[in-house]
Amino acid sequence: MTAMRRDLLLCGLFACAALFWPMISDMRYSVTQTTFFFIWATVVVQWNLVFGIGGIFSLAQVAIFAIGAYVTAMLGYYLGTSMLLAMPAGAVAAVAASLVLGIACLRLYGPYVALLTICVSQVLYVLIVNDTDCFTNPPSGCMPLMGGVRGFSRFGDLGFRDWLGAGFYIGNYYVGLLLLTAAILFSIAIIHSPMGLAFRALRDNPVYAAARGVDRFRYQLWIFGLSAFFTGLSGAFYAVNTGVVGPVVFSFQHLLFLLSMIVIGGIGTVWGPVIGAAVLMLADEAMRELGDFRDIGMGLLLVACVVLMPRGLTGLFQDMARRFAKPADTEGAT
Amino acid sequence: MDVFFQILASGLTLGAVYAISTVGLALVFGAMNMLNMSHGALMALGGYMAWFTMTGLGLPPVAGMLVAVLVCAGVGVLIYLLIAGPMLRSEGFETRVFIATIGFGAMLESVILMAFGPQPKPQPLAVQGGLSVAQVHLPVQNLLILALAMVLMAALALLLQKSRIGRAIRATAQNRDAARLMGVRVGMVYALVLAISGGLAAVSGITVSSLSSLLPNMGGDPMLKAFIICVVAGLGRVPGSVVAALFIGLFEAVVQYTVGVRFSFASLLLLVIVVLIWKPQGVFGRHQGVRL
Repeated sequence: MTAMRRDLLLCGLFACAALFWPMISDMRYSVTQTTFFFIWATVVVQWNLVFGIGGIFSLAQVAIFAIGAYVTAMLGYYLGTSMLLAMPAGAVAAVAASLVLGIACLRLYGPYVALLTICVSQVLYVLIVNDTDCFTNPPSGCMPLMGGVRGFSRFGDLGFRDWLGAGFYIGNYYVGLLLLTAAILFSIAIIHSPMGLAFRALRDNPVYAAARGVDRFRYQLWIFGLSAFFTGLSGAFYAVNTGVVGPVVFSFQHLLFLLSMIVIGGIGTVWGPVIGAAVLMLADEAMRELGDFRDIGMGLLLVACVVLMPRGLTGLFQDMARRFAKPADTEGAT
Repeated sequence: MDVFFQILASGLTLGAVYAISTVGLALVFGAMNMLNMSHGALMALGGYMAWFTMTGLGLPPVAGMLVAVLVCAGVGVLIYLLIAGPMLRSEGFETRVFIATIGFGAMLESVILMAFGPQPKPQPLAVQGGLSVAQVHLPVQNLLILALAMVLMAALALLLQKSRIGRAIRATAQNRDAARLMGVRVGMVYALVLAISGGLAAVSGITVSSLSSLLPNMGGDPMLKAFIICVVAGLGRVPGSVVAALFIGLFEAVVQYTVGVRFSFASLLLLVIVVLIWKPQGVFGRHQGVRL
C-alpha cells in the first residue's frame, strides 16, 4: 500500500465515522463544537501546506482566514448576496489577497517572512478596530465600513434554519465535514503531487533542485495561493456558522491557538494538523473550568511541546511504532 | 517652525523609547539567531515590577528601576535555561524558538493579568512638568527618556566594544564553534545576552508605560514596532538598529501629525515592505553569500 493510498483510506474512514456522530451524540453542544473542530482543522491543514510542506514560515494564515470571513459577511450585509455565492467569493478574495502578500514577502527567508506576515495581520486588526467613521447608519447604530469593534452580524445563512428548524446546526455540521474532507483530500493530492516532490527536492538539496530548474519562488507562490482557497472558504463558513464576524478573528490569541495545533500535531505531515486540532480543542474544553489558568495552560502546553517533542505528536507516534517494530525486524533478519 | 521642532522633539523621544527595546532584540538575534517573541511580555513585566515596588512596597524610584531590571534579567536567564538552551543545537532552531517564545510570552502576560488585573494603572516612575523653550513644549519625562536612552546605548556600546564579556559576545555572534574552541563559554554568553536583553526590556517597559499607562498587553505593539525597526536595520545589527529606531520614531511622529495616529502603524508597515523589497537584508545588513 503506498503512502497516498493509506492517506486516502484514512480520510475515507474518518469521513464515514464522522457521518454518524450527530446521530450518536444527541447533545447539541458536542455537535457544534465538532463543527468548530472541522473549521479549525481545515485552516490548520492548509497552513501546514504552506509551513510544513512549502517551508514558508508564514503567520498570515489567520489573516487570510479573516479576509474570507469578512468578505463573505460584507457581501451579505451590504449587498444581500446569497451565502452560497458569497462564500466562494470570500474564498477567491482570500486567494487574491494571499497572492499579493506572497509576492511581497516570498523574496525573504525564514524569520523575516514570519515578522512581516504577523505585522500585516496586526495592522489589519488595528485598522479595523480604530475605524470609527460611519459608512452606513442603520437603526442599530453607526456602522463603519469594516464593521469596527462590533463586527458584522445578521448577514444571512445557508438556509438550514428554514429547512431543518431547530436542528439547523446538524446541517452546518455536514457542511463543515464536507469542507474538512475536501481540504484533507486537497492536501493529500498536493503532498503526493509533482509539486510536493519539488518541495521535497528543495528541502533535501536546494542547490541541486535549483540546478534542475525547480524555481523556489514560483512553487512557493503557487502553494501560498492554492492553500488560501480552502483557508478563505473555511473563514467564509466560520462567518456563516457563527453568524457573527468581528475583529477577534485577527487577534493574537487566535493565531496562537491555531499555531499550537499545527506544532503539537506535527509540522509537515498529512495527519499531524488534524490530530493537533482535535487535541487542542479537547484540551481547551478540559481547561474551560479553570478560568484564568486556561491561557497559562495553553502557553505551557505550547512551550512544552516545542521543547520536548520537536516533531509533534505524529513524530512521537512514529518513534513509538519504530521501537515496537524493531524487535520483530531483527528477528526476521537472523 | 515651532511645529517642526515639536515633531522633532516627540519623534526623538519615540525613537529613544524604541531604541531601548530594539537593541535588546537585535542583541539576542545577533548573538544566537533567536527572535524573542516574549520581549513584549517582558516589557510589561518590567513596568509592573516598577509599579509594584514603588506603589505596593513604597520604595524609592531607584529601587523600582533596579527591581524591574533584575527581575526581567532573571526571566531572561530563565528563558535560556528552559527554552533556548535545550533546543539550541537542534534542527529548525529559529522556527521552534520563535514559536516557543510566543507561548512563553502569552503565559507571562496571563500571569501578569492574573496578578495585577486588567485595569490600566499609572506608572509611578515618571516625572511631571515640562519645559518651554521658544514655544516648544518639552515634558521633562521625554527629556529624561532621551537622556536615559543615550546613557544606556553608550554603556552597551562600551560593554560590547571594550570589555572581555563584550568580546566574548561578539566572538560568539561571529562564529559559535570557533568561539567555543577559543575557550569562550558559549552557554554563559547566551544566558548573559538574554539577561541584558531582559533588563533592557524592563527599562523600555517603564518608559513606554510612563508615556501611556500600564496594561498587561502593553508590550505587544512596541515589540512589533521594535521588530519592524530590527528588520529595517537588518536583523542583528546593534548600532544600525539605534539609527533606524531614531529614524522610525521621527517618521512615526511626522505621519501622526500629517496623516493621523490611526495610520501610523500601517504606514510603518508599508515602509518596511518597501525597504525589504529594495534591500532584503535590511539597510545596514550585510549581504550574506550562500555557501555550498
